Amino acid sequence: MNEAVKVPKEKVKAKHESPPRLLVEHVTKTFPGVVAVNDVSIEIRPGEIHAMVGENGAGKSTLMHVVAGVYKPEIGTMFLDGTPYAPADEMAATKAGVAMVFQEGSLFPPLSIAENIFAGRQPVNRVDVIDFNDMNKKTRELLKDLDVDEDPSTRIAMLSPGQKQLVEIAKALSHQVRLLILDEPTSSLTINESRNLFRILQRLAKRGVAIIYVTHRLAEVFEVADRVTVLKDGKVTGVREIKKTHPDELIRLEVGRELSFAPSKERVSKDAPLALEIQDLVASPVKHASLTVKAGEIVCLAGLVGAGRTELCQAIFGLRKIESGKIRVNGVELVPRHPRDAMNVGVGMVTEDRREGGLFLPMSILLNVSAANLEAVSRQGIIQDDKVTEISTRFAEKLRIATTSLNRQVMYLSGGNQQKVLLARWLARQPKVLIVDEPTRGVDVGAKSDLYEILRGLARDGVALLVVSSDLPEVLALSHRIVVMSEGRTVGELDARKADEVTILQMATPKSAVHQGE
Amino acid sequence: MPAKKQTPEMEKTAVKEPVEKPKKNLVWWFNRILYDRILLLIAMITLLIVLMSFTYPREFPTWPNFAAVMLDTAQGGIITTGMLVLLICGVFDLSAGNILALSGIVAGILVADLETPVFVAILGGILTGLVVGIVNGLIITKLRINALITTLAMSGILRGVTQIISPAGVANLPDPFKPFGQVKLLGLQSPFWYMLMVVLVAWFLLSRTRFFRQFYYVGSNAKAATLSGIKVPTVTLVGFAIMGTLAGFAGTVLASRLSNAVVLAGTGIELRAITAAILGGASLSGGQGTVPGAFLGVLFVSLIQNALIILRVPVFYQGIVVGIVLLVAIGIDQFGHAKK
Repeated sequence: MNEAVKVPKEKVKAKHESPPRLLVEHVTKTFPGVVAVNDVSIEIRPGEIHAMVGENGAGKSTLMHVVAGVYKPEIGTMFLDGTPYAPADEMAATKAGVAMVFQEGSLFPPLSIAENIFAGRQPVNRVDVIDFNDMNKKTRELLKDLDVDEDPSTRIAMLSPGQKQLVEIAKALSHQVRLLILDEPTSSLTINESRNLFRILQRLAKRGVAIIYVTHRLAEVFEVADRVTVLKDGKVTGVREIKKTHPDELIRLEVGRELSFAPSKERVSKDAPLALEIQDLVASPVKHASLTVKAGEIVCLAGLVGAGRTELCQAIFGLRKIESGKIRVNGVELVPRHPRDAMNVGVGMVTEDRREGGLFLPMSILLNVSAANLEAVSRQGIIQDDKVTEISTRFAEKLRIATTSLNRQVMYLSGGNQQKVLLARWLARQPKVLIVDEPTRGVDVGAKSDLYEILRGLARDGVALLVVSSDLPEVLALSHRIVVMSEGRTVGELDARKADEVTILQMATPKSAVHQGE
Repeated sequence: MPAKKQTPEMEKTAVKEPVEKPKKNLVWWFNRILYDRILLLIAMITLLIVLMSFTYPREFPTWPNFAAVMLDTAQGGIITTGMLVLLICGVFDLSAGNILALSGIVAGILVADLETPVFVAILGGILTGLVVGIVNGLIITKLRINALITTLAMSGILRGVTQIISPAGVANLPDPFKPFGQVKLLGLQSPFWYMLMVVLVAWFLLSRTRFFRQFYYVGSNAKAATLSGIKVPTVTLVGFAIMGTLAGFAGTVLASRLSNAVVLAGTGIELRAITAAILGGASLSGGQGTVPGAFLGVLFVSLIQNALIILRVPVFYQGIVVGIVLLVAIGIDQFGHAKK
């Protein structure tokens, strides 16, 4: 902690002596129909961790791609350590000392760590044979630097997401990086892995590396960054010293309005009928689960990663073999062998992996919404285009999906709008029970607030909601009741009014781990 | 019917008006034609017809040549329709040509050696294709072996079976069997009319019906399709059954047209079918493709073949040309993805 406090002081001095590490002046980048980055100027100092925040579509990623040489700006200039910087492509940027760690991994899973770091530029001997000793030695040094305790010959596929992220950083460091750009680096990391990453970033910054940290998560900004730039609609709306700002101020700069994530005070009445009952359910890796959800109630499933929450949802929705136990929907027993069985009794499920398992990315909003509603949009087996349009239009308006046209392919929508398309697909079925797995993952704050309102509205209309979320503030804000899972079992229930993060975490922590003394 | 590149229907509807309308100048039209597969094919076909008509006015623009080209599209059109259904579903069938050959032989043996009635022979040929298609589908959906390997293995098996049951094929099929593949209507032989029916029915089914809409979802994202309540294995199985049935039908028609069940019938037809479908806007990554596009693809490939014959290019070179056209088509497909 002490170190972290000292660093900014040294930087204040450095600021007067040396030019900024990166100076971006009046950069504009447009795509057909959109000005993604509009006359943006930013300044990044050597040795600082500079957070870049903003809603999806605010232009953060585009700006970073410009800096990393992926896109060329139409207007504007950039300077790196005082000298003009106009990279022709990513390779040129890397050579100049600017490296970007991408959101989606750019590693080769079947190859070793060393071969990934030195891909395409492996050290060779005189007859052009790869010098594995030299390559592994260099890799070992890089890994040691980042506290990765793995052999250079380990294949990437064997690593955890956190280790993969560090290998990407090692790859950047092997290029003598001066400016390191990280785009949503913690989206697939556990809390411990994130902490470890922050520690390493702070160490790199102390050595003088400038770091741009693009993220959605304001908590991380306050944990790791020195300064923060907020973007909205392609423009900079504010630059703040972390110590002189507050999350509420950043949200206001991001969204342009005040948002509230306070817990809802609504409660479902005591005599509301049970919509979903799960009794002694066993469906490996779910070892034993019992819970109920009343009509109009929001029940959140809380727990650590690997507690079996998603797997329980999959079992209810017919995606996992049920070994024993009972599921009842509105009092009728459900034996789901295929999602169709669950859908027939009024159950819907919004999956957590929106891009892989939820949406048909190259298809239009119309086709995505109608995917689970083919009976409703057809007559005697023939698709009625006017009905397809009708239900999509109705729910696009209801959920405020921002798009120029319903014919737009969903891959071009922001995370929040994609999530709304997925919700629209299920709302069109008018479900009695809706399972929502990670409703706001990878979604910006504005859309998050919209999604909370939508889910609360559904509950008011009498839909029983079973929500899985790893975001504890979200669990507390959204739920009426919380069911905690640990190691494949439901271990307890809490009234959301009386619950807090600590209690939930205590219940969620595996007891076996406590015995081992960790 | 506005047949767009992605998927059928759409066009009308919009929450708000698009922000700005591009100017329809020459560049706009050029891009439009380049990216709309159907317009591109129409342009290329027109170009080919005009060029050939001017350079070979005595051979090319004649009724017999037109009838020959139409007859040539018959077999390709039927097989391509089946292949298109599978490509939309994200898979393909490399055994189609061998199903075609086996079905022809079965029909030939039934009608010539076993002296069954004609309709039994025709039904036998078609059912042979259906059975093989179902076996392909079951292996792929139940044993979860991928379509490439399954149908590649199946084509080896079928070729062997065909040669064992009839090493030299069945020659001189009896007269009552001939009208099925040889009767003429409006100057064109029956296989063309069968193809036209298959294409029209498939066009309607794929663009308008609920069941066939599911193929687009399965090909686009099988996992999301399952989660939307679509029975992916059933859809896939039906796709292979359709392919098998159409290949069986094409084989039977061919045997009747030639009055001969040939062991080597249908060699390389899979290559032509995949080429035509992809030229017409289908994609190896699934979820895309339309019947009009695929049909224009077939027509284009047939016209190329016809041009090569008129130019007196030796038959072996024709395979090379079709192979190159396939590579170019896939290249355009990949380029389209990269642009996105």
